[in-house]
Amino acid sequence: MVEALGTPVTAADAWVEFARTRDPALRDRLVSENIGLARRLAHRFAHRGQPYDDLAQVASIALIKAVDRYDPERNVAFSTFATGTIIGELKRHFRDRGWAVRAPRRIQELYLELGAITESLGHQLGRSPTVPELAEVAGCSEEAILEAMEAGQGYRSASLDAPGAGNLTLGDRLATEDAGTYLVEERSVLEPALAALPERSRRIVKLRFMDGLTQSEIAAEIGISQMHVSRLLAASLAQLREAFRTEE
Amino acid sequence: MTDVVELAVPVRADLLVLARLTAATLASRAEFGIEEIEDLRLVTEELCLSVIGASAGGVVHLRFVRDGHSITVECSLEPEEGAPVAVGEPDELSVRIIEALVDEHGTVLDGARPCAWIRKRGTKVAL
Repeated sequence: MVEALGTPVTAADAWVEFARTRDPALRDRLVSENIGLARRLAHRFAHRGQPYDDLAQVASIALIKAVDRYDPERNVAFSTFATGTIIGELKRHFRDRGWAVRAPRRIQELYLELGAITESLGHQLGRSPTVPELAEVAGCSEEAILEAMEAGQGYRSASLDAPGAGNLTLGDRLATEDAGTYLVEERSVLEPALAALPERSRRIVKLRFMDGLTQSEIAAEIGISQMHVSRLLAASLAQLREAFRTEE
Repeated sequence: MTDVVELAVPVRADLLVLARLTAATLASRAEFGIEEIEDLRLVTEELCLSVIGASAGGVVHLRFVRDGHSITVECSLEPEEGAPVAVGEPDELSVRIIEALVDEHGTVLDGARPCAWIRKRGTKVAL
């Protein structure tokens, strides 16, 4: 249903209206209503040396593309369609720029080479190339291709560091990461809350959740143990959560 | 042709690479394109992490089935002895990612344990 003044009242109405009118103001509204999804997905990829802000920018541009291309007549929810589009762009960003800091040099080089080969073969074939096709062009084994793919993408679990870090379980660390995702989404509330933290804790939270460094990398940068980083992060997040509750 | 591979992996972030590599290897045998393989890796990891949830330990059981150009991954968690079976709601973002990147997904009971599964079909290519 559309109101008399032409303002769509439900999300479904808004998509139908936008498909019909391509109204720039409505487009802005749809982008802004879904920007949280783009930020959350960017955070999922925010590790292995790719700053969160860069990923958030890639995800935001992909969101705009998704808004422009979404067809409400297809039986797919916008969030599902946009998630696929945003992940596709983030993967491409990693293929072009990101590689695992800790991967052996030959794997890093192969991964970067794969980006170029995938693109040219993809154009040539009109589809995504297979592993045997890539191996043939790159002159290496299929196993090497699979290994390079593993090294190249920013997998979520790979950002959670070594087993036993800070005596936290994988479950504990996942919970911490989810809290971090929420904080990144709510930066307007986060900034003042961060200011209340001690300087070192503030720096650690920023390095982890905005710059995408792993706990090991933060430990090396600051000159303390990973276990200590883990403890300080957990304590800082507890304090920030409290600030969020007060705000709400 | 059908291949079945089963893995039992301790709940540790550094061992989830085994799940991703198994999925990718089978997907390559199923003639998936590289984009589809990357998607399957991501989804396999999301599936494992959503099953692990807040669990402190235990073993993740994975079953990979390649059937022609389709891959199914089933994942359940065997908790540590004495620990209760954790049945939590999967993270909303994980659900979104899974929905966007696979053809089918769901949850079934594997004995007393909840088992989450996904299925992805590759675009068959003429080699």
